[in-house]
Order: sequence, then C-alpha cells, then structure tokens
Amino acid sequence: MTRYLLRRTAILLGSLFLAAVALFVLLRLLPGDPANALLPVGATPEQIEAARRELGTDASLPAQFLTWLGDVFTLDLGSSLISHLPVGPEIAARLPVTIPLTLAAFILAVLVAVPVGALAAIRADRWYGPVINAIAQLGIAVPAFWVGLLLITTFALRLGWLPAGGFPPDGWDDPAAAAEALVLPVVTVALVMAASLIRYVRSSTLDVLNADYLRTARSLGASRSQAMWRHGLRNAAVPVIAVLAMELATTFLGAVVVESVFALPGLGGMLVKGISQHDYPVIQGVMLVSTATVLVVGFLGDLCQRLVDPRLLHREAS
Amino acid sequence: MKRLIASLAALALAGTLAACGGGDDDSTTGGGPAETIQIGSVYEPQNLDNTAGGGQGVTEALNGNVYEGLFKLTDAGEVEPLLAKDDKVSDDGLTYTITLQPDVKFHSGKALTSADVKESIERVTAANSKSARKSYFEVIKEIATPDDSTVVFTLKSRSISFVYNLSYIWVVNTAAGDLTTTADGTGPYRLGEWKRGSTLSLTRFDGYWGTPATNAGVVFHYFTDATALNNALLTNAVDVVTGEQSPDALAQFAGNDAYQVNNGQSTTKLLLAFNDKAAPFDKVAVRQAVSQAIDDKKLLTSIWGEYGTLIGSMVPPSDPWYEDLTAVNAYNIENAKALLAGAGFPNGFTFTLDTPSYDPHPTAATFIKSELAKVGITVNINTITADEWYTKVYQKRDFTATLQEHVNDRDVVWYGNPDFYWGYDNPKVTDLVNSAERAKTADEQTTLLKQANAIIADEAASDWLYLYPQIVVASSKLSGYPVNGLNAQFFAYGITKN
Amino acid sequence: MSRRRALHLTAGLALVVIVAGGVLLSYAWLPFAPDDTSGGRLAPPGGDHLLGTDKLGRDLFTQLLIGGRIAIGTALGAVAVGGVVGVTAGLLAGFATRWLDDAAAVMLDILIAFPTLLLAMLIVAGTGASLGTAVVAIGLAMAAVVARLTRVLVKQVLARDYITAARVAGISWPRIVLDHVLPNIAPTVLVNLALQAGLAVLAEASLSYLGLGTPPPNASWGRMLYEAQATVLTAPAGALAPGIALVALVVGVNLTADGLRSEKGSR
Repeated sequence: MTRYLLRRTAILLGSLFLAAVALFVLLRLLPGDPANALLPVGATPEQIEAARRELGTDASLPAQFLTWLGDVFTLDLGSSLISHLPVGPEIAARLPVTIPLTLAAFILAVLVAVPVGALAAIRADRWYGPVINAIAQLGIAVPAFWVGLLLITTFALRLGWLPAGGFPPDGWDDPAAAAEALVLPVVTVALVMAASLIRYVRSSTLDVLNADYLRTARSLGASRSQAMWRHGLRNAAVPVIAVLAMELATTFLGAVVVESVFALPGLGGMLVKGISQHDYPVIQGVMLVSTATVLVVGFLGDLCQRLVDPRLLHREAS
Repeated sequence: MKRLIASLAALALAGTLAACGGGDDDSTTGGGPAETIQIGSVYEPQNLDNTAGGGQGVTEALNGNVYEGLFKLTDAGEVEPLLAKDDKVSDDGLTYTITLQPDVKFHSGKALTSADVKESIERVTAANSKSARKSYFEVIKEIATPDDSTVVFTLKSRSISFVYNLSYIWVVNTAAGDLTTTADGTGPYRLGEWKRGSTLSLTRFDGYWGTPATNAGVVFHYFTDATALNNALLTNAVDVVTGEQSPDALAQFAGNDAYQVNNGQSTTKLLLAFNDKAAPFDKVAVRQAVSQAIDDKKLLTSIWGEYGTLIGSMVPPSDPWYEDLTAVNAYNIENAKALLAGAGFPNGFTFTLDTPSYDPHPTAATFIKSELAKVGITVNINTITADEWYTKVYQKRDFTATLQEHVNDRDVVWYGNPDFYWGYDNPKVTDLVNSAERAKTADEQTTLLKQANAIIADEAASDWLYLYPQIVVASSKLSGYPVNGLNAQFFAYGITKN
Repeated sequence: MSRRRALHLTAGLALVVIVAGGVLLSYAWLPFAPDDTSGGRLAPPGGDHLLGTDKLGRDLFTQLLIGGRIAIGTALGAVAVGGVVGVTAGLLAGFATRWLDDAAAVMLDILIAFPTLLLAMLIVAGTGASLGTAVVAIGLAMAAVVARLTRVLVKQVLARDYITAARVAGISWPRIVLDHVLPNIAPTVLVNLALQAGLAVLAEASLSYLGLGTPPPNASWGRMLYEAQATVLTAPAGALAPGIALVALVVGVNLTADGLRSEKGSR
C-alpha cells in the first residue's frame, strides 16, 4: 500500500505541475490582447499602449510565466485584468454556489441511481427493468441545458413554484432563498448524472449476480438477498467507486453550462466570462482550482477503490 | 399548495446541503420609503471606474446615483447644473467660471472642494485614462481654483459642447483609494456590496446635500442573457429591468396589469459600418447600393417585432440636430442593381462581414446575407468576439464591413474624424463638424451639424440599420423610474414602490 | 445474441436511419431555401411551415434538416479525429518502454481530467468559433479517452502467448500490429467510438448553445435551441423540435453501439 501511495502521490504532483504549464501555454495562444477589453470605442493608440504596460501583457512570455508560477506557490492567483479584484477571494466567494450545487446534485443522483440501477439488474425479468433502462438511455442523450430550459419553463414560468434563475444577494445568510434558487439547477445536473450512473450500477450489479461466488453462496442455503448483501455489494461497489469519482469531478466542472442557463454566480459563470474577456488571471485561477479538484478527487477515488478491494494492489504489484 | 411544495423542496435541499446560520426569511417587507428596489440588468460593470474601462454597466449603476458631475444630463435629455450652483461664460466663450454647491460631502465625510473637481477632470485627461471622452477635453488650456468653491476653466477655443461634455465627468474623491474596486462620490447613494457575477447594492446616503433618495437603497441583479432577465421579472425576482433585449417576452408583460411597459427614447444605433477607405466600399455608389438593397424595416421587425425606429443617419431623434432622413437611400432593390452596374459590379461581388458574436449581430448578419444575395452580392459572415472586434476592426482597420452597435448620443461628430475606424474622409464634413463645435450659439451648431448629417446620409458613409427601442419594464407597483436611459444611465433615486 | 441486444440494435439503427435519411433528403430536397425569409416572424406550426418559422421568417423544418447535417458531420468528423489520433497514441504507448508508458499514462490522465467540453471551449476560444475548430477540439478531447482504452487493450494482446511466439519467429512489429493487434482490439475500440460519437453530438450542441460552436447563418441544433429559449412560451416548437431531434440521434447512436457490443459477443 505504501509503495502504491508514494507512486500515486508522485503522479498527482506531476500532474498538477504539468496541468499548470499546459494551462499557461494554452491561454497564451489566444489571439487578441486583454488590454482591449478595457478600452472603449474612441481610445487613442497612446491609451492602448498605456493599457498594455499597465497589465504587463507587453512583457515576454517566459517572464510572465515565472512571475505567475511564483505567485501560485505563495497562493496568490493574481488580480483580474478587468475588475482589478484579486482572483483567489473571488473564487472563494463563488464556491458557496458551485460546491453545494455539485454535492447536492451528486448525492441526489447517487440516491436515485444506486437503488434504481440495482433494481433494474436484480429484477431484470420484471416490466420495470426495461422501463428503467429506456429512461436511462434517454437521460444520457439529453443535453443538460435543454433539461434546464424545460424545467424553467415548466416549474418557474408556467407553475411559478421556483425561481427561474439567479442567486439571492444575501447568499446563504438567507438559507431558504438560497436553497430555493438551487433546486432546479440541482435537479437538472442530478437527472443527467443519474442516467449515466444507473447504467454503470446496473451492469456492475449484473456482473456480480452472474459471478461464481454468489451462486456458491446461494447453493449453500443463503437467500438471494442475503447473498447479495453479504457478498455482492462490496464487489459491485469497486467499479462504481471509480466511476463515481470521475462523475463527481465532471459535475464540478460540467456545471458550466447549467450555471449559465440558471444565471448562477458560480465558477462556471466566472470561467465563461473570463474566456470571453481574455482575462488570463481569472481563467488560469478557475481552471487551476478546477483541475486540482478533479485530480485530487481522482486520487482519493483510486485510494478508496484499493481500500475496499485490496486485491487490486496485489494485481498491480505482480 | 405550490408555495408548500417549493418550501418543502427548498427545506429538503437546505437539509442536504448544510445547516447554515439563523433563518432570516423575512426578505419581503411592505411598501414605504424603507423599501429596497430590485433592478435587473444585463450590463454588469467590468470594474467600478468609468475612466478605467468600467463599461456601460458602471454608468448605469453609479452615474447620478453614487457619483455626480458638475452638470447632469436629465432623462429628458436636458443639461442641468448639479454640483455647479452657478456658471458664467465669458463673452468670447473661452472662460467658464463655476461656483460649487455649498456643504457637499463625499460619502467618506470629506467636504467637496474645487481641488476635487480639478483632480477629477485631470483623471480623465491623464495619460493612462481609458475614457472615450478623453479627446473631448483636449480643448482645456487651464483649470484654476481661486478658492475652495470656485473652478475656472480656460479653453483654447470655443467649445459649445463643453458644459454637455462636463456632464459625463464624475467628481470623485481621488484620495479614496483604487476607484476600480471602491467608490467615494457625492451622490444620493453610497456603494454597498458588489458580488461579481451576481449583484451590486447601493444604500441611501444620509448625509446627502440634495433631496434624499425616495427608497432605502437599490440592488442591481446581473444576468448574462435576456431570457434569464425576463424570467426574473416574470417570477418577481426583480421589480424593474433597465432595458429589454428582445421583444419576445413583451407580449406577456404588455397584456398583464401587474407590469408597466415603457417605450422610451434610445440613442443606440445598429450600424453596418463600411471601411470607407477600402475597395469596394470606397465607392459612394457601392455603399448607396448596399444601403438600398437592405430592407431595414423587415430587419427591424425580425429582431424587434413592432418596436424600434428606423433612422436614415447617425442622429437619433433625441439629438437637437435630428432630421428624418429615412427617405435617403431608402429600400429600392432595382435602383441598387443599377447603382452596382454603374459602379462596375453588374454581377455583384463578395465581401466578408465581421460580425460580433453576441446578439443581435449574428441575426442581422444572416438577414443581410440573404438580402444582398438578391442583388448578386455574396456575404461571408465572420463571427468574432468583442475583443477581436476591437483588435481587428477598431485598431488595425483590417476589415471590409462590420456590424456594431453605437450607444452614445451626439456621436455623429465621429464622421468628422477621418482617423476613426470607418475611415470616412470628407473635408467638407470635417469642416462642418469642427465649425459646429466652435459655434457661438446652439442654433448655429444645430444648423451646421444638420448639414453634415445630410451629406453623410446621402453618401451612405455607413448603413444605419435601425435605432434600438429603449424598453423599461417594471412592476406596476413601481413609480419614479427613468424610461429613456440616455447614454445608458439609470437614475434610481426617485423610484418608489407601493 | 440476446433478444434485448437485438432490440437495441434494431431500435438504434432505426433512429439513426431516420435522422440520416432526413439529412440525405436535405441534399436533394428542402421545403424552403435555407435563407428564404418570406415566412413572417415566428409563424406558428402548420400550413406551409410544418414546424413554423424562426424570428427571421425562415422555415424551421428546413433549419432542422440542415442542423442534422451539422450534427452528423460533427459525429463523423470528431470520431475520425479522435479515432486516428487516439488509436495511434494508444498503440505507441502500449508498445513503449515502461518509463515512456508511465509518462504517457500520466499525460492521458491529465488530459482526461479536463472534461471534453472545457478542453473544447479553451481550444475554440483560442482559434475562433467555427464548425471546423469545434469538431477538431471535440475530436482531440475524445482522443485522450480512446488512447487510454487502446493502450490497455494493446497491453492485454501483447501479453498473449502467440505474440511472444510471433516475436520469437522474427515477425516484424508492423506485421504484428496489422495482423494481430489491430484485429483484436478493433471491435472494442469501434464500439467505444460509436458511444463517443453520441457524446460528440452533445458536446457540439453545448458549445453552440454557449455561442462557441457553429456560427450563423448555419443552423446547428444547439444554436437553434439557444435562439428559441427567448420564445419558449410563445413559440414552443422552436425549443422542442431541435431538442427532440438531438435526443433521437444520440439515443440511436448509443443503442446501436450497445447492440453491436453483443454482436461481437463480449460480456
């Protein structure tokens, strides 16, 4: 385990560094100059030059990279070129939208998908097996923004039950309003996510059901459900954990489109705006935090998998 | 019932997420002067300084609300004294002596002095200023402050728009720190909190020198698209929207007693701007042909339904020198073909139209493509971001034709500047525009600018497709809000809710 | 082949054939010219216009058919890019030395950590919004997933006895790849590519919805949905039709992939 842990940690750190370099290089390939976003129609060439000097976009690329990397190590993500506000605190201010959205959607999706997926596998012979399967097929084919659009139309505009978008100015100081604002976005993300999870849970459960040890257990007199609970669950869980870790990470970033449908002030909105304004510090900051989250969640997912099923370690060692 | 379901869902969610602090649910108080007004807008400021690229949104939120100028442009388009109590102009028009209102305090408590006015103007004319108005103040020779309440401007030449131009200049406390992230003005509101990507709040300033605001404060809610903005109004998340971006939701508001739809004056024009220096649009006949081949009325209807106005030139009806020129180069497809043939393009030609990626430009480009196809002209639509537009079109002039919205009033004067991005260079127009600025009377100025306007309209310097409507939709409970939004300003201090 | 798989294959192929048929038809016949704006603003469905018209008065059914060309074009293009780049990278990694292979695995993990949509957004933001860039961007994001799968499969094949035998017999590496490796990994890779094709269609729609995909006047389904959302209450057909078409195509592709998986007898 220690050897695995060391190797996996090294990979994690290397990944983080490579991601930082890749981000920086990719961003500098963007055409245009962020100085432009600041200038109105009517600006003179002198005003444009002054803006470039002020933003540091007239310095050489390696110089810009070193400055940036040094700042990152001191946890300083720089300031927005446009608003002049520091990026770090702004990311922190937006996490109370994105993290609850991601986690609530993730929990909701798991609560729905695990029992439903398992049911579809265990009772594949009943009528609801194929029905669940069909719904899951539909779910993975629907674009999230369209689901959001339909939910807004139905529950906000026609029925008036829930807000159509936005987030209360007081944020979580007004918990009822904040939670209300997140209901439809959470359901949107959860629906799309649950659909793909159901398929994984179902096929993973099917594999276990057909496995030899379960047949053995039943032939030894255990009831079907006893056998399932004692032996099946743990084995079915292993591949599902890997998928869950990946899904959680994807949701965290994939909320981009959903946040823009619901006008939520989360990380997604910050990123989209940063891209359209070529606001390097903002894009870098959000992408770096997001990528780090994805990589760390993947790391934890791998560890969990090996804790649940230590046989994986032996297989790798051999 | 529905309230119950919403609450249950919200509770369930709140339980799942986190057990946060005290549940202050009483956000909906009754009417009265303690009311906070919720305003919806799509123009979030980039930063809080209008000399550092704050954009249209910073004018909307702060101009007249947090910051005041010596003069103000009222919602009706009149220039009135504000922080200037009194102003005298010398007979030669070169010296302006302005006396300040007494007992004016900044939100920080500092008293307003003539030195603040001088520094505020020097901020705009400074080398690193990003203000579009910078060049307007090159006419100033000297600013003197003989005492704390008097400012004397000496000009290099007569400038009839000087007082009007001063209405754009915020008087700020330059000692307050970085004004891109903080604010210290003399207006009826002080800056509350700005949550980027979400809201900006203003609270009533109790030490205000003039008539205090009629509400306790306002919150601007920012949305990234028009649909989300309308949805917010439909679900009562905001009380008023500062400007509708599409006509499609208006039917629901117009037919509903709970809402008031106001059709105000606008100064925003959609332009098909030609590069007047480059082939083929360096030929007047080609520009006229293209202008005549596009059915502006049909375009306006496509984008705005029954709203909006056709214009025949750069001048909107709210400018003093407006004339109805819609008959000049009006839609006439046969004449357009004849003009093209006469200009040496009997079979048309192909050009690239640089189109900003945000609404309504792509729709307009699609329409223009289909219209021009009828006279044999092929349009290649090249979609670009706002940033690319600035680099490629505005700075490098590397374009044949482009679409762009021009927001400000009184901006016909750009056609007198041959160095502007569209490169329109007619010495006669330049001379008329310059003479108009040095005019002795407003009448003389108006006469000269009308002449300039007639020339650019006839030569189709650009194709002015239409004037946007300025539609403010508000809850019927609201009164006292501005409806014209000239130059994107939105005075909030008179709004009441009952 | 189980009945369920057969059902999937039949239903999937039926959906794909319907959408593809519409697209093929669009090359031979369209109800209206694509830029014919004579229909009037937001005409309701029925009459001359089966699904009504958009803001500019263009026929929605015509736009829907043209949007299908873009959807299917995206799927094919992205799979071509993702398949060629991904399989090549996967093969190279699979054959590489331990050290190189580890490095490749790490790089792929990083690439996969960027969700397809974000990677595509960055590339599109860098090179300007166009259908071509969107397809290449989606294809490259897909390549990382394909490469990872290929690498694992190649390693499995290489571990088999007959490969060792072939190497001992002095057969060249290119021959081994062509005769043994590719035929063995092809079925699994192809099924995976089919699944990825569905994702590519969804990704293009999302990019277009954000204004980063197909530029106007071309009618991408994602773009049609974005434009229709303002009028969803007054003219719902504009928001429903492209959505339904999109779902039908993706479900069709996914079911076909499912059915094919059983055809080649895995699981």
